[in-house]
Order: sequence, then structure tokens, then C-alpha cells
Amino acid sequence: MKLRLIIALMVLTFAAGAGQAQSRGALRINEVMVVNDDNVVDDYGRHTAWIELFNSGFAPLEISKIYITNDKANPTMYPVPLGDVNTRIPKRQHVIFWADGNPTLGTFHTNFTLEPGKDNYIAIFDADGHTLIDEVTVPADLVPNTSYARSIDGSGEWQVRAATGDNDYITPSSNNVIKEGNSKVQFFSERDENGLGLTVMAMCIVFSALLLLSICFYIINRIGAAVLRRNKMKSQSQQPSEAATAEKPSHDSGEEIAAIVMALHEHLNVHDRESTVLTLNKVRKAYSPWSSKIYNMRELPNRAKH
Amino acid sequence: MNFGDFLMQNLHQFWQLTGFYNSTWENFVMLAVGLFFIWLAIKKDFEPMLLVPIGFGILIGNVPFNTMAGLEIGIYEEGSVLNILYNGVSAGWYPPLIFLGIGAMTDFSALIANPKLMLIGAAAQFGIFGAYMVALLLGFSPDQAGAIAIIGGADGPTAIFISSKLAPNLMGAIAVSAYSYMALVPVIQPPLMKLFTTKKERQIKMKPARAVSQNEKIIFPIVGMLLTCFVVPSGLPLLGMLFFGNLLRESGVTTRLAKTASNALTDIVTILLGMTVGASTQASQFLTAQTIGIFALGFMAFVIASSSGVLFVKLFNLVLPESKKINPLIGNAGVSAVPMSARISNNLGLQYDPSNYLLMHAMGPNVAGVIGSAVAAGVLLGFLA
Repeated sequence: MKLRLIIALMVLTFAAGAGQAQSRGALRINEVMVVNDDNVVDDYGRHTAWIELFNSGFAPLEISKIYITNDKANPTMYPVPLGDVNTRIPKRQHVIFWADGNPTLGTFHTNFTLEPGKDNYIAIFDADGHTLIDEVTVPADLVPNTSYARSIDGSGEWQVRAATGDNDYITPSSNNVIKEGNSKVQFFSERDENGLGLTVMAMCIVFSALLLLSICFYIINRIGAAVLRRNKMKSQSQQPSEAATAEKPSHDSGEEIAAIVMALHEHLNVHDRESTVLTLNKVRKAYSPWSSKIYNMRELPNRAKH
Repeated sequence: MNFGDFLMQNLHQFWQLTGFYNSTWENFVMLAVGLFFIWLAIKKDFEPMLLVPIGFGILIGNVPFNTMAGLEIGIYEEGSVLNILYNGVSAGWYPPLIFLGIGAMTDFSALIANPKLMLIGAAAQFGIFGAYMVALLLGFSPDQAGAIAIIGGADGPTAIFISSKLAPNLMGAIAVSAYSYMALVPVIQPPLMKLFTTKKERQIKMKPARAVSQNEKIIFPIVGMLLTCFVVPSGLPLLGMLFFGNLLRESGVTTRLAKTASNALTDIVTILLGMTVGASTQASQFLTAQTIGIFALGFMAFVIASSSGVLFVKLFNLVLPESKKINPLIGNAGVSAVPMSARISNNLGLQYDPSNYLLMHAMGPNVAGVIGSAVAAGVLLGFLA
């Protein structure tokens, strides 16, 4: 009973761990604008401060019930409401929350505002209200219509963006870094034109993986052989006989194994489970009325004779 | 409009929908290719399980129709039946299911009994990366080169899996090329094996492998999955399913699941995979100069893979004691065309010594090749996806 309880607890622990793995830890504050005079407008056509959140994971993320706050002392300032389909953020995508202090305007309008000229603390907490997911303090000297953004989506250094050049752009609800193709492929195109580098690395990895497996099984072989020897010696010491003391070959040939299996089958009717050797399986075709066709057919009623 | 005009107008419209009206010479070329595959499978017995579905799929995919009519029948038209079935190929979930079946069918005893044979499976992956370098030279981008090079692994599901991730537009040509060369293994490999070996080497007799306990067979898929996937997590879909299938087989307590995975499930997925891969080779997508390049590179990858396996054994023999020498004829089996290439090793070995049965020895590198090509695929995905 105790063993069952322990197993059940272990399963529950693992399940809880798996649940944790699906948590909202992948959510990131990605870009913030405190004073918005001529940047993006909300769904009412108004310019207000905004906070961009980013799902840095590769699975969709449901953010209802998380908390967004601008007050360290009050982590449950704005709970993201339930029941809005837009709170499910697809993989590697963004949503914008409008920090306009007017939550009656919709799910994405917070009940707090951001204050120009002051440090603005912004944090997101998980549904339990005390697990911090991400936080940032937007500096007080952020000038109007500039944003405070991560250099790379979901990670990287925070930087001020003023939309003044090619690499300095404000990106509400889109990637902070504009991608032009697969960066890995570009990297290999530029740095490994003839493919020798990748070939050497890849072959080393393939050899290492299989060598590791090979060594591992060499060790398991040795351990298995040692255990077998020990068991054999133990059984010999318990039942000493002339046959047991006879010298055994280091390996068995297929013919010997086949002969042993045949002998077992003939005299003891013991079934060998080793599929690679020789498996003798008696095929039984026992009659069962449950599968009999005759019972599935209705007999024609006999016409009564008058 | 009188009744005659009505009939003529509608019949004319119908005529415009028919295959005869919409056909081009490219369609007929592809139909001929499909028929050739079916002929190879039925008359020559070349991988019939694969070539019949692929060949017939080519026929299905190349029946011409008016693509502007909105009939939703083409494999590339979203929502069509073929498109839904093709999702398993384009999203890459058929290949791991095939690997589950391969795992449930494969006996790794030969490998467990003689673990050093795993290195032959690793050496044969030179074919993949040799072809990768040549593909780059021919002007393919690194992701396309990686997808084409995987043909050298001689593993159709892996080729489909990788090309669906790295170069979806080349997948049809890559898949057909991979399966064609797998079918041609008995033609391609023996001359190479003879070329790189001496008569004396071909007659090397290897010690019979020791018997492997059931415990070892159970430990193998668990340790194998953990070790290989810790090294190459990107190979998890293939390696995870391969070893899972093998555990179903060897555990001894899931016989029904193992039987389903190795029989019914594999058969269903093979039918769908083969047919949809064949149907994806629509003339407009398939008959390009790139396809010729892919077939040439695929052939080269196969040659390098087979040769490097044989040459690696010769090299390995230099450091092995006389009693433990390996017959280089099993080197070709490092490619993962299971069990075809192992059978070729055995047949060629018997030609030079009628008492020298190499089949079980060759199965070691053969199944190591399956693991090796899945690891190589994971490496390519990790670097290029």
C-alpha cells in the first residue's frame, strides 16, 4: 500500500513538473512607449502609452488571468480578463496593452497609466499573483515618441529607440529585429562556403553519439557477462555436478541453441521467449461458441402444421 | 438559348475541365515515370511496398485538370482530400510514425552483441556530408544542400522529414530520388564493394555473435534514446520514435502494441506516405533542371556512403587483432536501407565463400545506419533549420 502511495506521489510530482513546463515563463515584456503623441493608435483611434508583450516560446500561450502592474507593492494591479480569444498569443508573436487607465474599453486596456518624467516600473505576474514572470523599469528620461525595447525579441539588452535610422525603429506589435531569411543559413553561406566546416562538425557529432552508445553497450556487455558468471558460479556452488563443471564455450552457436530449444520443447514443453533464437509456439485453434457463425444467424421459424 | 446551344455550351465547358484539354507534354512524361516505377515494382520486384504507392501517386498527381476551376482536388490546393493527406508529409509527422514501425520491427541484437559495428553506421554518413559539399559547389543554398544530401542516408522517411523542414519546395524530387536509389541498392552497391575489397578480404570469416539477453535488449532503446537525443535533441522526433518502437518490441509486455506499430500502423502510413509523395511530383514542380541535379547528387551521395562504409572497415581492420577482423563486405550496410543492404553483404559474401553467412553481422551496421542517419538529420536540422 505504501509503495503504491509513493508511486502515486512520484507520478503527481512529475505531472506537476510537466505543468510547470507549460507555464507562462516564456512571456516577456518586449517594448514600451510611455508618451505616444504620433505613434500607433489604439482601437478607438487614440494615442496612448503602450506595453508590448512577446511570447518567446514556440507554443501558443494563454495569458488570461496573468497580472500586469506598475506597482511593485501591488502585483495584482491589472488581471487580464478571461474569455477573450485574443489572449491566446501564437508562438513568437506579440500583443499590445494600452496603459490608459481605462479597463472598460476592453481586455487590452489596463487600469493604470504610465507617468512621463518618472521611472516606470512594469511587471507581469503569473495567475498565482506572486510568481514574477518578467519586469522592467523604463527610465525617466525617455523622450516622447521613443520606445524602450529589447534589442532582440524576448531577450537581449534594453535600448531606447527613436525611429531615426535603419537599425533604430519602433515596432509595436511586431518583431524588434526584422528578419530577412534564415540567419543560420546566411551564416553558413558566408562563413562556410565549401561546407567543410559543417561536414567536420557534423561527422564529429555523429561519430561521438554512436561512439558513446558503443562504449556504453561495451560496458553493459561487460557488466552483463560478469553478472552471468557470478550467477553461474553461485548455481554451481549450490548444485555441484559433473555437467556443471564441464568447460563451456565462450559463445553459443545457433545450432546448439536450436537443439536446446527443441529438447526443452520435446521433454518439458517450456516456451523460450528469445525471439532471435528459435521460438516454438503451438498454434491453438480451439473451438469457441462465441465466434461460431451458426449462433449469429437466426433460424427461420418453423411453419406450424395444421 | 435553344436546347442545342445549351448542350453545346455546357459540353464545351466540361471539355475544358477534362484532362485531355489541360494536358501538357510534361504531364505525359511524369505519367511515364509513374508507370516505370510501377513496372519496376511489379516486374522487377524493386521495393514494391514503396514503388507501387509512389508510382501510382505519380499517376494521381499528374492527371491534368484546370487548376483555375476551384475544384479543390489538387494536392497543393488547401482543403482538398489529397492536401489533407499530404499534411503528414509537409508537416513531417509521417516519418516519425514510420520510424516507430521500424523500431518495432528491428532486432538490434547484432549491434548490442558487437557494439563496435556502430562506428560503421557513423562512417557511412560521410555520404550525406560529401554530397552536401558538392551541392554547395553546384550553387544550392546550405539548407537546400542539406536537404538533398540526406538522400545519402538511404532513408526515405528521414529524407522526407528533413526536406519538409529545410527545403519544402524540393521535397518531391528528394523523396522520389531517395526511394529510387533505395530500390536500386542491389544495382549500385555490389560493384563498389568489389572495387574496394580484395578477394582475401571478402573471405574474412567473422565470429558468430554472442547471444544477447532480454535485459540488454530492453536497456538498449532506453539508453540509446537518452544518449543520442541528449547529444542531438533535434533528432528527437525520429530517434525517440525509433527507440520507443523498439522498446515496445523488446519489453515483452506490449506485444499487441508492437504488432500494431510494425504491421498495421506502418502499412497505413507507408500507403499514405508513398501515395502523397508520388502525387506531390506534379510536372510543374518536378520537371526542372534542379530535379536532375538532385538525382545526380543523390546518386553521388549513395556512392560515397556505400564506399565510405567499406573503406572505414578496411581502415578499422588495421587496428583490430587478426581474430577480430571485420569483413569489409558489411561496410556497405552502414547506409540505412534495412535490410536490403545487409542482404547484399550476405549474398556477395556467399559468392566468395559459400559457408560465410554475413547477414547477422551486416545487420549491425545496417541498424546503426538507421540511428546514424537520424543523428545526422538532427545535426543538419540543428545547424540549418
